[in-house]
Amino acid sequence: MAKQRLISKKTVLVVLAAVGVWIGAAGLLAQSQSPEAAKPAPQAAQASDTDRGEKVFANNCSRCHKPPMTIPPRITGTVVMHMRVRARLSRADEQALLRYLAP
Amino acid sequence: MKKWIWAGCMLLCSFAARAQDADNKSTDTDSKSTSAGYVPVVSGGLGYVYNVVGGVPTLLPQIDPVLLVPFGSHVLLESRTDFTGFFERRNGTGDYTGEIFKSVEYAQLDWLASSHVTAVAGRYWLPFGLYPERYQALWIAVFQDRPITGAIGTPNGSGDGGQLRGVAAQTDKFTIDYAAYFSTHSNTNELQASRVAGGDGSIFFPDKHIEVGGSYQRLLEGHEINSGALYAQWKPQAIPLDVKTEYDRSFYGQGYWVEGNYMLSQLPVANNLFKNLQIGLRSQQFDPLNGGGHGLPTVNTQRVDIALNYYFRDNNWRVISNYGRQFSSGNDQNVWNVGFTYRFLWPLWPGRK
Repeated sequence: MAKQRLISKKTVLVVLAAVGVWIGAAGLLAQSQSPEAAKPAPQAAQASDTDRGEKVFANNCSRCHKPPMTIPPRITGTVVMHMRVRARLSRADEQALLRYLAP
Repeated sequence: MKKWIWAGCMLLCSFAARAQDADNKSTDTDSKSTSAGYVPVVSGGLGYVYNVVGGVPTLLPQIDPVLLVPFGSHVLLESRTDFTGFFERRNGTGDYTGEIFKSVEYAQLDWLASSHVTAVAGRYWLPFGLYPERYQALWIAVFQDRPITGAIGTPNGSGDGGQLRGVAAQTDKFTIDYAAYFSTHSNTNELQASRVAGGDGSIFFPDKHIEVGGSYQRLLEGHEINSGALYAQWKPQAIPLDVKTEYDRSFYGQGYWVEGNYMLSQLPVANNLFKNLQIGLRSQQFDPLNGGGHGLPTVNTQRVDIALNYYFRDNNWRVISNYGRQFSSGNDQNVWNVGFTYRFLWPLWPGRK
């Protein structure tokens, strides 16, 4: 059977360009926004972050699986990155989750 | 074709390096205020299931290692490979014989571009409906058999290409998330994929703990067809209950499933014994269209399942048992699954404590 031409170079370029424009625009938009997370903060703010992290866990992670085993702090960042992608979390939620799991 | 894929990856990486510079300053600062580290991880699940369908037993050992390699706190390389053995009795009564099947379920580079956008390049699970991305992991699935409609929207299971995903809008009252993707056709071993484009979106109400969503996909090769799904999930905080449902439709058929899972952790009697016991119920129905097939039944099919799962040791070990009764034209049958699953999560090398 003749090998099928999977996709034209032009289409690939158009798709990559569209993705690039989208991502670039998102990056510029994000730069124009004020930082979401709090500055180094009073203890009250940190407690608030921990509470929020617990809510993020309950509202997102627990929807799919049971609470995890103890996560060693040295891999918590990696695991939360993975969960941010899987659960489509915002950066603010990711940060709250980090503070909750690895204060 | 490979060079174009690499070119795409390089392009995305160059965008990443540039855009992260300013956008992520605050996040880097925040990360340093926690003890979280970014050491590579090997994770995943393994299990062993004794499966009986219509009186025919099958042994299904399975291991799904997941590799996570972060590059800083904004770029992640992740992959998951499935190794599933399939062993049946020779001639129905002899020794068990079979083989082990291997497939790369995802091997993707994620760039956490901004608070609202994650760009994905490589091979990824097709985000369609509730099951593929959320509940097919061996150690998560309450029922080991996927829903009858599981073949809708998941040609070859995974896609090869690019994807944008993230949270579109978020307030205290709701969160809207999305995923949009394009996959090329691939015949490469372990990386088979269909040429498809599609998207998935859902809205979650945290006060009510309700999520409602939908998926759409267009197959862009052969007989070009549309597939769609509507789904909802409710997981109240006050009781350990989880209810979810999904309706799927494609050119080859339509169907729905409804699933409810309950942990007996609030049982006042013998709580120590029952708190780790989970009961699941699932009902599903499928009606073929245009002859069905393509991974779907060719006749009207109904099925009910019940699951009893028991969790051990911080929820890592689990004993699983499912029973199902499938009703279809002239071929009613029982389906049993009994076995165990184990979830693992290990650093690949030592790091700071």
